[in-house]
Amino acid sequence: MPKIRSIAGYMWAGAAIIIVLATFFGSGFFSRTLVAASGVKISPLYSGGEVMRSVDHGSYKALIHRPVFDALIGESKEGFVQVNWEPLAGLPPVIEEPVDYNGDGKEDFSIRIDTKTGKATLTRINPLVLSVINTVKLDNGWVVRVQLKKD
Amino acid sequence: MKTDTPQVPRGEGLGRTIILTAITAVITAVMFSQGKIPQDPKGAIALILTFLFANTLFFLIIYTGKTDRYRAVYFSTFAVMLIVSFISHMLEARGSMSLSEAKVFQCEVPFCHLVIPMTLVPIALTKTIIFPGSLIGGYASIASMFVLWIGATLALGRGFCSWSCFYGGLDDGFSRVLKRPVIKKINPKWIYLPFAVLLFVALTAAAYLSPTYCIWFCPFKAVTEFNAVTSTEILIQTIIFVSLFIGLVIVLPVLTKRRTQCAFLCPFGAMQSLTNKINVFDVRIDKEKCVKCKRCIQVCPTLSMSEESLEQGRTRITCMKCGKCIDSCPKGAISYHIKGTDIPGKRNTYRLLFLFAAFLFLAIFSSHIIQDGIVRILKLVTTGSMIS
Repeated sequence: MPKIRSIAGYMWAGAAIIIVLATFFGSGFFSRTLVAASGVKISPLYSGGEVMRSVDHGSYKALIHRPVFDALIGESKEGFVQVNWEPLAGLPPVIEEPVDYNGDGKEDFSIRIDTKTGKATLTRINPLVLSVINTVKLDNGWVVRVQLKKD
Repeated sequence: MKTDTPQVPRGEGLGRTIILTAITAVITAVMFSQGKIPQDPKGAIALILTFLFANTLFFLIIYTGKTDRYRAVYFSTFAVMLIVSFISHMLEARGSMSLSEAKVFQCEVPFCHLVIPMTLVPIALTKTIIFPGSLIGGYASIASMFVLWIGATLALGRGFCSWSCFYGGLDDGFSRVLKRPVIKKINPKWIYLPFAVLLFVALTAAAYLSPTYCIWFCPFKAVTEFNAVTSTEILIQTIIFVSLFIGLVIVLPVLTKRRTQCAFLCPFGAMQSLTNKINVFDVRIDKEKCVKCKRCIQVCPTLSMSEESLEQGRTRITCMKCGKCIDSCPKGAISYHIKGTDIPGKRNTYRLLFLFAAFLFLAIFSSHIIQDGIVRILKLVTTGSMIS
């Protein structure tokens, strides 16, 4: 038994050197495999969630994400919906966007952004819409997050 | 028990050292260059200097039999070069070290291994990463850091903290500034604080789905990136992380000669202490040779040696395998060891196997950062600016 343990120890120690080399040689492959096999994604709290709808305005488009109420377990009482406008070059001085975030065919709020100053004005229609959380200029457009209450 | 070494271990002979260094030279030449010599003269100089630096230190580690002395030079250089390279990169990409909201919304924040402990519970329960970084591709992607962490854990265990952590080199370096410690007595119970920090940040990160340690405590934001102060909350966070950096990474390591950030705060280090169980290398004490001079207890940078550990013939769970106790033992009673084998057994073989894994990890992981750092410094000297 001690001999077997000793041999196993040496084998594992030798394997450690191979593991080091494989970690760096195969970093790209292992990274892709890890992501594909685990199915992990960036939390929608950071990514804004999947894009639910795209509205074409000609020189630019609005991307309306799914409402995010994600919590560790279940859903939280408050969340947000993210709307992106892109590309930056095609944006008008003032963006006005009516948004139906829950897909019921009715407008829930309207947002107006001055793309020069970043000032955002929210017109609430649905009482579950609370306020503007962020308005941020991105490399390729503008993004806004509007705080929501869970139904 | 058999032993193949004299009482106080020496390094390898010159011929054997040259052969062993030749092996690392071939591997590092391939890994550092990735098969091509840079066309840019600064890049070529950086490649050659990095190659010579790495292999000279490996030669000295093998030839002199001293591990920690030369490891620390490499490790601290890595940390300094990371700062040079990272800050230059951020200045080029963003124009400042501060993190803009746009980069957060675009999920382009570089990921580092310290975030990993906070991501595990959310990954398990929601299959999502609570960090605004890039999963694959881009600078310091999340998946690449996870791969690195898994590889390091399997190969080195907590040895990662002394052989690969690009932050650890800072407090390691500062802990060597003075010859003797000004503060000599530290309650050894402090070594359990990182486990409490680990539990706290893992739970709060899961509860708030937010990397709380990064936002509130990480001292290394002071030398990498941080949020621009735009609110009282961010101002408080800034005061906390700057204070922790000055206190735990600079002042206390200088005064105590211990790696205080790594030993008393780092949640990643605590997690590595736990995952170290699956690693094959450890540091063991030959109780027959040990004369209980307690030199190892005095020099251990993480308080991982105690009288109880000498009695038990093994280090505490927090040992980072830096080799300082091994170098300092006057009787050669402490050595690297492979689990399952005899003590002291073939201690030179154990040491070499550990060193190949640990040194290659450090050399390969740091190579592009050190090369980039050298290029930036050469740029600074020749053009007056480190950025393009």
